[in-house]
Amino acid sequence: MSRIELAGARVTVPVEADSGPREKVVLDGVDVVLTESRVAVIGANGSGKSTLLRLLNGLVEPSSGTVRIDGLDTSRETRAVRQRVGFVFTDPLSQLVMPTGREDVELSLRRRHPNRGERAAAAQEVLGRFGLQRLADQSVYELSGGERQLMALAAVLAVDPSILVLDEPSTLLDLRNRELLRRTLATLPQQVIFSTHDLELALDAERVLVVEAGRIAFDGDPTEAVRFYRDLCGAGLGPL
Amino acid sequence: MSGGRPGGILGGYVPGNSWLHRTPLWVKFLAVLIAGAASFLLLDWRVSAVSLAAVLLAWLSAGLGLRRLAGSTRVVVPLLAVLFAFQWWQQGPATAARIVLNLLLCFVAAGVLTATVPLQDLLDAVARLASPFRRFGADPERFALAIAIMVRSVPVLAGAFYEVGDAARARGLERSVRARTLPVVLSTVAYARRTGDALAARGLGDPDEDSSL
Repeated sequence: MSRIELAGARVTVPVEADSGPREKVVLDGVDVVLTESRVAVIGANGSGKSTLLRLLNGLVEPSSGTVRIDGLDTSRETRAVRQRVGFVFTDPLSQLVMPTGREDVELSLRRRHPNRGERAAAAQEVLGRFGLQRLADQSVYELSGGERQLMALAAVLAVDPSILVLDEPSTLLDLRNRELLRRTLATLPQQVIFSTHDLELALDAERVLVVEAGRIAFDGDPTEAVRFYRDLCGAGLGPL
Repeated sequence: MSGGRPGGILGGYVPGNSWLHRTPLWVKFLAVLIAGAASFLLLDWRVSAVSLAAVLLAWLSAGLGLRRLAGSTRVVVPLLAVLFAFQWWQQGPATAARIVLNLLLCFVAAGVLTATVPLQDLLDAVARLASPFRRFGADPERFALAIAIMVRSVPVLAGAFYEVGDAARARGLERSVRARTLPVVLSTVAYARRTGDALAARGLGDPDEDSSL
């Protein structure tokens, strides 16, 4: 497995307040090393989960501290990092750039296979791996949520990243499609880091991080992490 | 907006084996270029009308269907109507007709190209055409990517107009220009940001090893 290392990773964003412009801390000095095959990140909306995941692919740069993937700095060696780290968004329609799944997978493969025939064959192999051949030539708008998510996954995995990062991949899926995604993720050889509100999915991981207010509030065994998160949520509700 | 309606005149390839499908890509490219230059070349609205009729005839003879044509022109008709009225007021009916007909000519000609050429062929051709610029540091694949994004964005943005229109009607605000346009602008910006993130995450916008643009 790859080594993902965050050292003092802090992310701030500028916000306008009554007293003038100031900085809001989204992630506050995160120190963590991830080497497990399956890591889940759970936490409330706005807790910093997505920002934490976006750091891993270089989509967000830390304001201070460092993020390294197998020793590569995500801020300075972004291109090499993105070749190693595939990223799947919550809404697959945001990331399927082409009209059909086949064309999207081929788009991923353009640099690797400049020759059209080789590219088409490679795309066919990728689509076959995920059982998506019969859907490959349909408009991405005609696919169900689960099919779209699988297609987006196939397009990202077409270039064989060693790490797959998924930001709330099951949020828009119904029960059947969520189960399909869950089974697919279980079979992948990649190191998988995902954020989720689905605590059942989180229990599939080897390690779970609970993010609260920009900090890692718990890091460890999935069952204990989920219990910790439930307690945290219950404590925050207060009387009705 | 994520569920933008599919189809539309630039909505993608229509499989077929018509004479237009079989016409070499460079001929179709040239035709679209000429149509694009129509605004400067065609100075009489009657010539513009005949040219548009010829392209429409080509469209229909290729079996691309009236439905696709009608569905997508519906999106641009309000814009063209405003333009026509403004130009009539400013420069008279003949000039207004010429400008609107020439724009429609470009629109339909581009539609013929995207409907009869598989997108991958189109991207390969654009990358080949742009390859001489590699010596100046440009990356041909980025040209191709720009075309892909443009083709993808047209139906998505058209879908945004429909959805926002439906939402405005549901709230009884169909006559409110603000309710029909502001959400489209906001969702377009959000779409652009999401697309940018998605491309960056996949490394698709990154320059290749040999280029700097």
